[in-house]
Amino acid sequence: MEFDGEKILDGINLYFNDQEFLTLLGPSGCGKTTTLRIIGGFLSPTSGDVFFDGKRINDVPPYERQINTVFQRYALFPHLDVYDNIAFGLKVAKLPKDQIHERVQEMLNVVGLKGYERRSIDSLSGGQQQRVAIARALVNRPKVLLLDEPLAALDLRLRKDMQNELKRIQQVMGITFIYVTHDQEEALSMSDTVVVMDKGRIQQIGRPEDIYNEPKNAFVADFIGESNILDGVMLADYKVKFFGRTFKCLDAGFEPNEPVDVVIRPEDIDFVPPEEGHLTGTVTSVTFKGLNYDIIVDFKGFKWLIQTTDFQSEGSTVGIRLNPEDIHIMHKSEYSGMYGDYSSYSAEYDELTEDAGDEEE
Amino acid sequence: MKKNKSLLLSGPYILWMLVFTLIPLGVVAYYALTDPDTGAFTLSNLQNLGLYLPVLGSSVGYALVSALICLLLGYPVAYFIAHQKPVVQKLLYMLVMLPMCMSFLLRTLAWVGILETTGIVNNLLGKLGIGPLNMIGTPGAVVLGMVYNYLPYMILPLYAIIVKIDNRLIEAAEDLGCNSVQVFSKVILPLSMPGIFSGVTMVFVPAVSTFYISQKLGGTETMLIGDVIERQFKSAQNPNLGAALSLVLMLLVLVCTGIMNRFGSDEEGGVVV
Repeated sequence: MEFDGEKILDGINLYFNDQEFLTLLGPSGCGKTTTLRIIGGFLSPTSGDVFFDGKRINDVPPYERQINTVFQRYALFPHLDVYDNIAFGLKVAKLPKDQIHERVQEMLNVVGLKGYERRSIDSLSGGQQQRVAIARALVNRPKVLLLDEPLAALDLRLRKDMQNELKRIQQVMGITFIYVTHDQEEALSMSDTVVVMDKGRIQQIGRPEDIYNEPKNAFVADFIGESNILDGVMLADYKVKFFGRTFKCLDAGFEPNEPVDVVIRPEDIDFVPPEEGHLTGTVTSVTFKGLNYDIIVDFKGFKWLIQTTDFQSEGSTVGIRLNPEDIHIMHKSEYSGMYGDYSSYSAEYDELTEDAGDEEE
Repeated sequence: MKKNKSLLLSGPYILWMLVFTLIPLGVVAYYALTDPDTGAFTLSNLQNLGLYLPVLGSSVGYALVSALICLLLGYPVAYFIAHQKPVVQKLLYMLVMLPMCMSFLLRTLAWVGILETTGIVNNLLGKLGIGPLNMIGTPGAVVLGMVYNYLPYMILPLYAIIVKIDNRLIEAAEDLGCNSVQVFSKVILPLSMPGIFSGVTMVFVPAVSTFYISQKLGGTETMLIGDVIERQFKSAQNPNLGAALSLVLMLLVLVCTGIMNRFGSDEEGGVVV
């Protein structure tokens, strides 16, 4: 897929299973919305094909596809009230009036907006508009529902509620959901399958647990959760060397002495007295986060993020132990060395990644 | 405190309105309701209005036809402009405005030169052995003059509304099964209604009261209410009747715009005259 000669999507190859909740996850500009627009029929790919139930649908216009979309910021019709917005697709399809009424009522029930039929769109809150947008799409009983960052405009509490709501609706209706988001937590908690994208390419496809526990490269490891990523060398199967020490691990199948990226999740690291530790370092910063402390520890100039409920005071010397299951090995990739160092750590990293890129094409 | 400040700022305009709109309006009302000779209060000026109802009716007719033609011509243009790149939009917008930079009288006179029996069109047709066609002095010429002069007033408000229609709404309609005709009739047209009401009002109001266009391009049978009013003041020396006619015309315009604003009441951008 190209735009003005610029490659937006590169060699995307995706299968969607029936009744699956699949999420396209990635930072702004990674191509996830473009992918969605191709599936919806609003863009046609410059090369490659889109198949639906085994039929090529590249040239099928959006209005003939059995796919409906919940748009970013909903795109509800301001000249119609709640009822007429939801009934829009059915009226276009020229269904009998009583049938339209029945199905709209059914959808109002599903999204919990009974009694709002004659309300104007402007008088609804963000969460309610969101529900209308979902109802308007689902009332047509599409085989696939596309959702383009539907929760991005909602506040945190409402977003959590709607996540559960969406998951419930998807299970009740038995429809394939293709969901686009840049919020990794949202992706992990809702999806059956997560597709991590960056720079127009798929970085990894898998179940949320697999994506988190077995990231394929430094980008995925960093984008999904927090990761300390170190340079290492795979000495042999189950044996990796970094920081001048050999550790046991659970990974195999690498070339002997292959340089690798080593991922250690901040929450997997346990503090021990310095003399018992595999490594010793100095605490340089401690931030209280509610559930845990974010502690930055300097190991020979490389700073790690450690998330723990054990308080450590700034400036103290600590030791850590790494168990084989805490260590995850990845092949080197173009992303190696770009992520996983917390030298420039700031307490706002959460907000930064969450706010970046609401709007994208 | 804040209120006082804004009153102070709007003061000059309020003064202007008072001196040049409200007081003259009072003068018009005074003349309309007094006897030309004695200056005593009378309704006789208004009683004579029945005579002019046909003229009033045909004025409204001309104005409505012109507004309709402007709408049919202007809508596609406004739609086209609204869907260009921003730079092109600005350029086209200026082109639409350009005729308004020239004198209205001059432009209307130019049409005389084009349409008259010895005019440009008939000269050309004469060389082809056709004509001369009788174009000047016909109702068609009057409508042409109105459409030509007031078309920008239709295009500009339409453009302003159409350009604001969110493209995602169009995609949403396509997504919900609309082909391009249905997208237009179910989404674009309803959302353009405020622009249509504004445009129709802005063409109708000046067209219904014009006298210059009908005098230059029309004939005896295309006399409009504006002509009649003008004549009362200029040649017939009956300002009282002229004032009464003006008053009625003003009420008519107010009623018409009121009705139109009523139609588009829940939409934004209704025009206040």
